[in-house]
Amino acid sequence: MKRYVLLLAYEPGGWDDASEEVQQTFFDAHHAFEEYVASHGRRLASGALADADTATTVRHVDGAATVSDGPYVETVEFVGGYYDVELPDLDSAIEAAMLLPPSYAVEIRPTVLIEGYEHA
Amino acid sequence: MTDAPHDPTAALESVVRKEWGRLTSLLLAQFRRLDLVEDALSDAVEAAARRWPEDGVPDNPAAWLVTTARRRVVDRLRAESMAQRKAPLLVTDAERREEGTRTMADPGDLVEDDLLRLVLMCTHPALASESACALALRLVLGVSTHDIGRLFLVTEPTMAARITRAKKKVVTAGIPFAVPAADDLPERLETVAQTAYLAFTAGYAPGSGPDLLRAELAGEAIRLVRVVLALRPGEPSLVGLLALMLLQHSRRDARVGADGRLVLLDDQDRSRWRRDEIDEALLLLSEPVLTGPISPVAAAYLVQARIAAEHATAATPEDTRWDRIVGHYDVLLELTPSPSARLARAVAVAQAAGPEAGLEALEGIEIAGSHRVDAVRAELLVRAGRPVEARDAYDAAIAVCRNESERAHLVERRDRLDA
Repeated sequence: MKRYVLLLAYEPGGWDDASEEVQQTFFDAHHAFEEYVASHGRRLASGALADADTATTVRHVDGAATVSDGPYVETVEFVGGYYDVELPDLDSAIEAAMLLPPSYAVEIRPTVLIEGYEHA
Repeated sequence: MTDAPHDPTAALESVVRKEWGRLTSLLLAQFRRLDLVEDALSDAVEAAARRWPEDGVPDNPAAWLVTTARRRVVDRLRAESMAQRKAPLLVTDAERREEGTRTMADPGDLVEDDLLRLVLMCTHPALASESACALALRLVLGVSTHDIGRLFLVTEPTMAARITRAKKKVVTAGIPFAVPAADDLPERLETVAQTAYLAFTAGYAPGSGPDLLRAELAGEAIRLVRVVLALRPGEPSLVGLLALMLLQHSRRDARVGADGRLVLLDDQDRSRWRRDEIDEALLLLSEPVLTGPISPVAAAYLVQARIAAEHATAATPEDTRWDRIVGHYDVLLELTPSPSARLARAVAVAQAAGPEAGLEALEGIEIAGSHRVDAVRAELLVRAGRPVEARDAYDAAIAVCRNESERAHLVERRDRLDA
């Protein structure tokens, strides 16, 4: 089994104004995805993210930690949710990603083990 | 291997050429270590080059190579386990079945073949297409990194880095060494075809300087298609593509003149076209699988092959059935509209119906960064007796043409206007 994080990116906005029918198609797509994952592997975690304008970014500038408002990259599409799953291979991850709503761009990122690192 | 030559060098070359992909796939299926297998096999080939001249050619050269390579891999694995290092393994479908996680199609629907697994892994759509080409040429055919670099007009270190990155992506992303379900296989084989055709056209993409065409390397792409077609006989996209490649490749000896310049189709010595390859292509085009319903990708290869066949079967340029070629281009444009195909159609229209009709067909075609539209316009304007406009068109073409020998040709044509 391989572990993948699927990052779901889309243009923000529109959800609150969407009709119940439209919202239901999104729920259905997520359910189909989750069923696929459950039957081929398993889901470790998932989450929907609040809009990118609520993000806070911490980075080090000239040796000092700075805190700034907003996400680390300004783009049209923002990561709005993620799934952390275990699936057999990239083909099954692609197959699962295709079940998600078509307005998403889904980035499939394999996770790696960092040799020598142990959790505190 | 009873037909193995006794000369050690020839025997080694022959087994590497014929068996590289099969041996690679065998070792990958056993060890699942993409990072070790290729090096181990290369080491085995080096060892054979040293040992066979002294010890004689083994009875089964392929088995000798795989045994030697296997030993190298095992040595490396042992060293790793002492260092307590754990490298990531390729995902295989055998493993998927063991885990029972995937609803597998009836095993009878699956093609159990390691070489096909290797081809499909190398040409996986999650790889950039140029990386897929490089990986397939290297792992399936054993083409050297140096030659793959030449094919794509990059240096050997650049190509080596590209191949290493591609291998890393395969292993890390979990691109499986596997045959997909029967439903998905035709689409994956189309990606194989597209990968092979990209490698082929790279060989005919004019390079700068003396390495004008690299036709012998384009020939390796034909070999790739033959390997896959042997595994999946009658696959329409591969049959159509092989016919197309053979027809284009059959003209290679006539394409570059004694002065090292490109020779245009009309000026080529047709007796130098390879008849055997043309005949094979025509036979492929008459295969019954191509008359049934086929995918748009297969249909596009087929119609391009039919266009090439019209040229290949015309005894002289004057005998070319341009009317039929225009018809083929109309079909092609319906399948895959592209500016290059529209340009080629305009050329065919000019041949069938005169330069003014050709110029009309040329209207509105734009290919960014290419001299070809202006070069064609210039030629048609010359033929239409409009030299002033022709000169402007040549100037425009020359300004953007980056290929030395093609630019020289354009300059010569322009200067001829003044004579």
